[in-house]
Parts: sequence; structure tokens; C-alpha cells
Amino acid sequence: MKRLIAPLALAALMTAGSAFAKGDAEAGKTKAVPCQACHAADGNAGIDPQYPRLAGQYADYLAKALHEYKSDERKNPIMKGFATTLSDADIDDLAAYFSSLPGSKLTDLHGHIEGE
Amino acid sequence: MTRALLLVTALSIALPAAAAEKGNAEEGKLKVYTCAGCHGIPGWKNAYPNYHVPKIGGQNYDYLVAALTEYKKGERSHPTMRAQGESLSEQDIRDIATYLSSITQ
Repeated sequence: MKRLIAPLALAALMTAGSAFAKGDAEAGKTKAVPCQACHAADGNAGIDPQYPRLAGQYADYLAKALHEYKSDERKNPIMKGFATTLSDADIDDLAAYFSSLPGSKLTDLHGHIEGE
Repeated sequence: MTRALLLVTALSIALPAAAAEKGNAEEGKLKVYTCAGCHGIPGWKNAYPNYHVPKIGGQNYDYLVAALTEYKKGERSHPTMRAQGESLSEQDIRDIATYLSSITQ
């Protein structure tokens, strides 16, 4: 029984770890300067609604998006240009930074659905 | 020639405005019922690969329209979202994006 529990506990720990941001938000801040032209300094992209708000978005989703832009799985010429220059650590740092920004306008749909 | 130029200028001004044409938020509120299954649960995660389903309430209108249209056309690969996108008309997408972008915390 003990033999079974140990691998299970390890697997649970690894799963939990991978779901959360591994990045360093402080390091991400210094790397985020190019992003601000479109996504704004506060990450809320209030200038032009074609650009998504990033402030407060889940870090692991942001990281996934950047990896997809980098690999061309998600096609966007502008984001491809930026993402190509980023290492895995850069992506984690940027994701942690934007996710940590205060003043997020994003929310889950909990409480916003008719008949809920 | 001047008239042609004027027409071209008028069109180039009118086109971006048309692209951002809003839908009906009330209709959108009814149409987002399906979205709540994943986007309505705080902290809900996508399975394989494992990551949080993004927060879409309060997201920018034009971006939401672009994202849903990309899923509809198969330009973004998430299987569940492609299936959702394929079922939506352009009007549905505008209505949904109008409602979602109107949500405040």
C-alpha cells in the first residue's frame, strides 16, 4: 500500500506544480516593456479593443498562448515576432508578471449566466 | 477622380467601424449559457494539457470576436472551442462578445 501511495503523491505534487506559474514576476516586469505598446502599461489594453487584456489572466493560460504563438500553432504575425525571441523562462516570467498585475478587469463567468 | 478618392477615403474610414459593430448584449447573455460549463467555474482547468481555462468576462470586444471567429474557421486548434465556434453564426459571435465585454467584476 505504501508503495502505491508514494508514486501517487508524487504525481499529485507534480500536477499541482505544473498548473501554477513557475515564472518570476519581477523579472517579467523588465521583459514586458515591448508588450506595453499594445497591451498598455497596466495590462488592460484600454487603447484598442483588438488587443486582449492580460492583467489578472491565469499565468498558465498566458504561457500556453505565448508558446502557441512561438510554435505557430496559433497564427498571429505580430505575436509570432515577439514570441520567437522568448525563451521558456522568459515566457514563464512574462506570464507571472501579467497575471500578478492589480486592477484586472477580467473575471470568470460565475454569477454572470442567465438562470444560474 | 476626386469623387473616387472621396469614396475610397470614406470606405476606409467606414470599414474599421463596421468591423467593430456591436451585437446585442441581452441576446448574448442567453447565448453564453454553454460557455459557463468551463468558463463559469473559478479556477477550472483544461485537461491535457493542464492549464486554467481563461477568464473571458470583461475581455475586449474586438479580441473576443477575433478569437471566436478563429475557432469557427479552424485557425485556432482547441477541439472544444472549435466545436463551439462552428456552431455559432457571426451574429451569435457579436452578441456573445458584446455581452462578455460588458461584464464587470
